[in-house]
Amino acid sequence: MGFLNSPKWIDVENWSLSWTIGGTWWFPFLESIHVIAAAFVVGSILMVDLRLLGFAAVKYPISTLSKELVPWTWGAFVIATVTGLGMFITRAASHVVNPAFQWKIVLLALAGLNMAYFHFRIYKNIAQWDDATATPTQLKVIGSLSLLLWSGVMLAGRWVGHII
Amino acid sequence: MPDYFTSIGTLLDGSFLQSGALWALSTIPGFPPIIQTVHILGIAVVMGSVVILNLRILGLAVPSQNITEMTHRLMPWLWWALASNLVSGAFFLFGRPLRYFNNPIFGWKVSFLVCAMLLTLFFHLMSRREEAYWELSSKRLWSARAVALLSLMSWLMVAMAGRWIAYLEYIYYPA
Repeated sequence: MGFLNSPKWIDVENWSLSWTIGGTWWFPFLESIHVIAAAFVVGSILMVDLRLLGFAAVKYPISTLSKELVPWTWGAFVIATVTGLGMFITRAASHVVNPAFQWKIVLLALAGLNMAYFHFRIYKNIAQWDDATATPTQLKVIGSLSLLLWSGVMLAGRWVGHII
Repeated sequence: MPDYFTSIGTLLDGSFLQSGALWALSTIPGFPPIIQTVHILGIAVVMGSVVILNLRILGLAVPSQNITEMTHRLMPWLWWALASNLVSGAFFLFGRPLRYFNNPIFGWKVSFLVCAMLLTLFFHLMSRREEAYWELSSKRLWSARAVALLSLMSWLMVAMAGRWIAYLEYIYYPA
């Protein structure tokens, strides 16, 4: 992982945009938007995950919940990513070697894979269990993993600030 | 900041509540980021309950879900999340009471929180009093939308102000 120690990360910190964000109220502004967007990512996916577990919103088909909520999750995720990148560039060199940040990226990737597995592998058989309250084990595993991974992303993300 | 507010901080400062909170925060490994994450997960539940409900009332999200059914289903989640956030937040409040009760942005947070809770409580109680209360006439639906808009903004401001407690100097002492 030599690229993590590359001096190029210092160049990122020296962009004029990085200086502007890091030295003004832009940083706390981006950070507060980031927290709200991240909470919305988890809050909007929560209802879908709990539905997959058969715990909540069982009177609605899984496909309906997913169709109506996941676009909101994505929208919030885009906002969180843009604001996150804005903060990242102000301390790029220390973030890439920060273990909390590294965990966060790994957990994000795993959460993404879990979601992709659901949408590309499981979702085509949706008709079989769309209305089921007692969902198959596979769906329960996906729903639990999603909750665990996203909470992990949040914990790691919050921990970044305690190490920097 | 009103005196009754700052005096809560003075009262807590040096109390056993402070020493207990400081003990937990400094002794248990990883306690501060873990409790902060529990606090943010509580905010996630606020987003997933009342914020999405308000977006539904405003006609922006989850059109298939019924407003009355959503209210009955989601409100317990909101109240439990707030109870959890009161506990997770208390560790920090008790740990450094003067930092919070003398901080005008914390004052803003509490004001927005009271406002958001009253609006939500009003909405919740009315829909418990009569089935489908907010959907019975177009006048009621428009009132519900007005309440939802104010409530949505208040809840977002609570989260926003919460984060800015740490950035007091940007607002009150600009460079």
